[in-house]
Amino acid sequence: MHTPPFDTVLVANRGEIAVRIIKTLRKLGLRSAVVYHEIDSNTPAISMADTAIEISGLSPIAAYLDIAQIVTAAHKARADALHPGYGFLSENAEFARAVRKAGIAFIGPAPETIELMGDKIRARKFVQCNGFPVAPSAVDEDDPEGFVVRARAIGAPLLVKPSGGGGGKGMRIVRDLDCLEDAIEQSRREGQRYFGDRRVYVERYIERPRHIEVQVLGDRFGNVVHLFERECSVQRRFQKIIEETPSPALSPQLRQRICETAVGIARAANYQNAGTVEFIFCAGEFYFLEMNARLQVEHPVTELITGVDLVAEQIHAAAGRALGFSQSDIVSHGHAIEIRLYAEAPERGYAPTTGKVLLLEYPDGVRIDSGILQGQNITTAFDPMLAKIIAHAQTRGESALKAHRAIREMILLGCETNASFLARILADEAFLAGEIHTGYLEEHPHIAADNFSFGLSAFLASAALLTKPVRESADAVPPLHAALGSWRN
Amino acid sequence: MYHCFEIDGVDHQVWLSASRRDYRLHLRDQVIAPVGFAHHSNSSGILNIAGESEPVRFVIDGDMIHVHIRGRTRTLRYRDPLQTLASVSQEASSLVARAPMPGVVVTTTVSPGQSVTAGMALMMIESMKLETIIRSPQDGVVDRIHFKEGESFERDAALVTLSKEGR
Amino acid sequence: MQRIASVVDVNSQVFRHNELHNRRLAAELKERQRSARFHRPERELQRLRRQNKLFVRDRIETLLDPETPFLELSTLAANKAYDGEVPGAAQVVGIGIVAGREVIVHADDASVKSGAWYPLSVKKIVRALDIAIENRLPVIHLCDCAGGFLPLQAEFFADRYYAGRILRNQSILSKMGVPQVAIAMGHCTAGGAYVPALSEYNIIVEGTGAIFLGGPPVVKAATGENVSVEELGGANMHTSVSGTSDYLASSEMHAIAIARDIVARFHRPEKTLIDRAAPEPPSYDESELYGIIPKDTRVQFDMRQIIARLVDGSRFHEFQQRYGTSLVCGFARLHGYQIGILANNGVLFGDSALKGAHFIQLCDKNRTPLLFLQNVTGFMVGREYERQGITKHGAKLIMAVSSASVPKFTVICNGSHGAGTYAMAGRAFDPRFVFTWPQSEISAMGAEQAAGVLTHVKARQLAREGGRLSDQELATIREPILQEYRERSSAYYATSEIWDDGILDPVDTRSALAIVLSASLNAPIAAPHYGVFRM
Repeated sequence: MHTPPFDTVLVANRGEIAVRIIKTLRKLGLRSAVVYHEIDSNTPAISMADTAIEISGLSPIAAYLDIAQIVTAAHKARADALHPGYGFLSENAEFARAVRKAGIAFIGPAPETIELMGDKIRARKFVQCNGFPVAPSAVDEDDPEGFVVRARAIGAPLLVKPSGGGGGKGMRIVRDLDCLEDAIEQSRREGQRYFGDRRVYVERYIERPRHIEVQVLGDRFGNVVHLFERECSVQRRFQKIIEETPSPALSPQLRQRICETAVGIARAANYQNAGTVEFIFCAGEFYFLEMNARLQVEHPVTELITGVDLVAEQIHAAAGRALGFSQSDIVSHGHAIEIRLYAEAPERGYAPTTGKVLLLEYPDGVRIDSGILQGQNITTAFDPMLAKIIAHAQTRGESALKAHRAIREMILLGCETNASFLARILADEAFLAGEIHTGYLEEHPHIAADNFSFGLSAFLASAALLTKPVRESADAVPPLHAALGSWRN
Repeated sequence: MYHCFEIDGVDHQVWLSASRRDYRLHLRDQVIAPVGFAHHSNSSGILNIAGESEPVRFVIDGDMIHVHIRGRTRTLRYRDPLQTLASVSQEASSLVARAPMPGVVVTTTVSPGQSVTAGMALMMIESMKLETIIRSPQDGVVDRIHFKEGESFERDAALVTLSKEGR
Repeated sequence: MQRIASVVDVNSQVFRHNELHNRRLAAELKERQRSARFHRPERELQRLRRQNKLFVRDRIETLLDPETPFLELSTLAANKAYDGEVPGAAQVVGIGIVAGREVIVHADDASVKSGAWYPLSVKKIVRALDIAIENRLPVIHLCDCAGGFLPLQAEFFADRYYAGRILRNQSILSKMGVPQVAIAMGHCTAGGAYVPALSEYNIIVEGTGAIFLGGPPVVKAATGENVSVEELGGANMHTSVSGTSDYLASSEMHAIAIARDIVARFHRPEKTLIDRAAPEPPSYDESELYGIIPKDTRVQFDMRQIIARLVDGSRFHEFQQRYGTSLVCGFARLHGYQIGILANNGVLFGDSALKGAHFIQLCDKNRTPLLFLQNVTGFMVGREYERQGITKHGAKLIMAVSSASVPKFTVICNGSHGAGTYAMAGRAFDPRFVFTWPQSEISAMGAEQAAGVLTHVKARQLAREGGRLSDQELATIREPILQEYRERSSAYYATSEIWDDGILDPVDTRSALAIVLSASLNAPIAAPHYGVFRM
């Protein structure tokens, strides 16, 4: 592997993931190019990339979703490969095809694989047909007439999901079967709105489930390996907040079973490149949930415990090279925890926050994947994730402690973040005991609800002492009168 | 009259008083003493509060004070009493942009129905061979423009009338 | 400096009796003050609320810097006048801190007779402005006054120290470069209209504030013109048309914020430097004063025991301890400031007067303010004393007191009678401030003595007309004379008439003196300069 796989790679993404990819490109000695919308012109990816090409759109998001503009930009940058990152066009088969058609290597799985895994119902059927476990379910297109009856037959509680979706949008939990039809209708409407797809399916809702996923890597020679699991059970509104590996819920036997299942599914799908097989896990049982045909936000925890650079492996795989290691070469060391710093206020129902990064300082001793710079404006144009802090230590406890110390030392002033909320989770007894599931935060509402008065006087004291008029009015009072205080006769 | 800081929409009354070497912090329901702040740089220092030392990172951005203490960040806004108390009742007369001197309208830069913000240029007038920009006294919607370009007016004449938004 | 040894036995029966009595007097004082400050007919308070006005006390508290002292002066002015219906003479006056600056606050109390000026209101305002002039203190006027109370105009309108003096004093202050800020929070009518107009800065509250020489009814009567308050003298008119007011405030709170901002910008003149050390509390508990002041005002007590409970560390450098012993003289510190104290330990003799005159000159020379602690029945009378020149020695003391240019402060601790009142810096001798303690008596002659003289005069009159009075009849004549005399020598009567700057609870004396001492240093101290001492 002495010849570089590509000459120039265009990163069709923004924020922390664009930075993350460019770092590997630099390491591999490849030239980097990045597209950006004007609103992002003062972000780190732009200053790091060798070339930055501006794209535009009706909205900033629209720019990053504009296939034609991005392909043109790739040509302009003379890119011979394109990394889509996550989100945006990363799981868009049409995009992958357009990139390939333009003679540019798409760093990701084949468009057909993306298509298969992108359709949740097809993916489920595929997995089921190949003999892997899925949750009991009913799919409406199988027999639209009998859909509700079949759904009912599974028994409460149920989860209604749009077929086209992801990210928790349009999902509904039904505990009372009388509400099922309403829930289906609402799910359809939201599916239509978010994904342009009215189809839904219903599956058994697992109470207090854990979200466990397995990282896999495949090449075009049929080699598929796993890089162990990640547990992403700490979620708010189906958005992951804290991810870790290994999962505290798995015994070595279970770990082996779930990882082998993931490899089996990937192999059945002839999966090439990096991907993630997600499972619902409860009481020793696990069901296939979906497969993400892209790099995951939480991939760094896997990198830290295995020492594998997943982006580098993606590039090699896309260049048609065989995996440089076999399953037995992959060894897990210690425990890693990733926490996501969001521009949002958990105390106010996770409302997004905005501002300007006035002071930014990262803690030492942890990995930081950040997409922000001091002086940058934080807007609501994109996902509110600002940065990730990834701690690696010998044990889960040490790793949590390290992450806790890091989030408390992280300084970001000018935009409200969820930092103290993350610190509260990392110090929470249930979390530290590994007693987590996807409903963990709803079950422990005190974590999101900040104890407002705690430490308030220290903040007021600081503000008072730092505010000129307040200090001046204190200093102006003659010492005699200050000593007499509010004396009255 | 206490000083006031707003945090998350809640006003907190504070007063600092000097003691022999440090300060006392008076909140409405308690007194915390001594308090003092030793600057280390323009964004860091040590807060001494009732015998405890707290490293503090901060940024002052106008009236906004962003403070980080022990892993927690808060933004406090200093509420200048002159500003906050004045805005309690915005008088109706400020809904009219008046002529500071007699003159002639050179150009009008807004049209009726247009939303304007305080300080936005509404009109340029000429008077005594001097061009003056008439700015909006407050946020609102342009209701009426009283003079056409080229028309003259007297001192204190209403030039542009605004209405409050949503009215 | 030596610490005064306490000779007080706090467990003695005398001490406990005194304490009980004096605590009762202090409680009575507090109750009378509370009533004068807050006891108002409900309709007055309702009217204020209806007019969207703050109560005068709330206005002042908002104006002052939080956590700073406010020394209210003449709290019980007019308490014996106008059937007690004009508490505090409808005025609040005091020394406080605004934006770090020592100022005089003068506020009309609109909850009393709509803030109308009575004769004693005028006297209280004039006094407030005299204090401002003497001590160069900026003044904040909180104006809310319906005008003078016309039925009594003969007692406040035309004379030298009547209402015109307010405006004259305002002008003098301005000439001296001592600024004033006025807030028109209600109507400022007739003479009252000039208060904001003569202030360097004035603020008018939109909706409630108005300034005019004649209100709408007066205008109607004079010219037949129908005009609204707002048109005639409202906030918008005065700030945009007449220029009579400088700042338009949207509320009283806003007006106060503006006033505070104005004061914060004032030039801060250097205060007069006098000898000062680090402050120290007295070694003995100030509340022991209650047990020391005798229940019976005729009982003599050692003023050193009072001094020990007022001054820093109870330390006192006594001057001429062995000479003229009925007048205790010496140096002490009060909140660090060096002061010279003259305190009565009995009737004044020739040697006491000589000692006092000498000591005053010492203090004047080294810029040491003087504190007079009065408990004096007067100068000694009798042939022997006159032959020794008691009158000319007394004249020396009066000359020294009158001429001394250092600030003087007087506290009437118990009795204040005869020429003793004068020689010990009574009101007429322009001490910067005069305070009294609740049990004190102020009169030309002691009550018993005076009643005796007056009864004797009356009896002689009757005798000339041929009658002769039995002891019974004499007693019947004497009793009402004594009663009235007592009434009019009381501290409450004196303070009602504003012969002083207020009655103090003895334990408040140290703080009150510190505040006025500090205030007095805003004015420079002239070089020592005396008239002719009769030798």
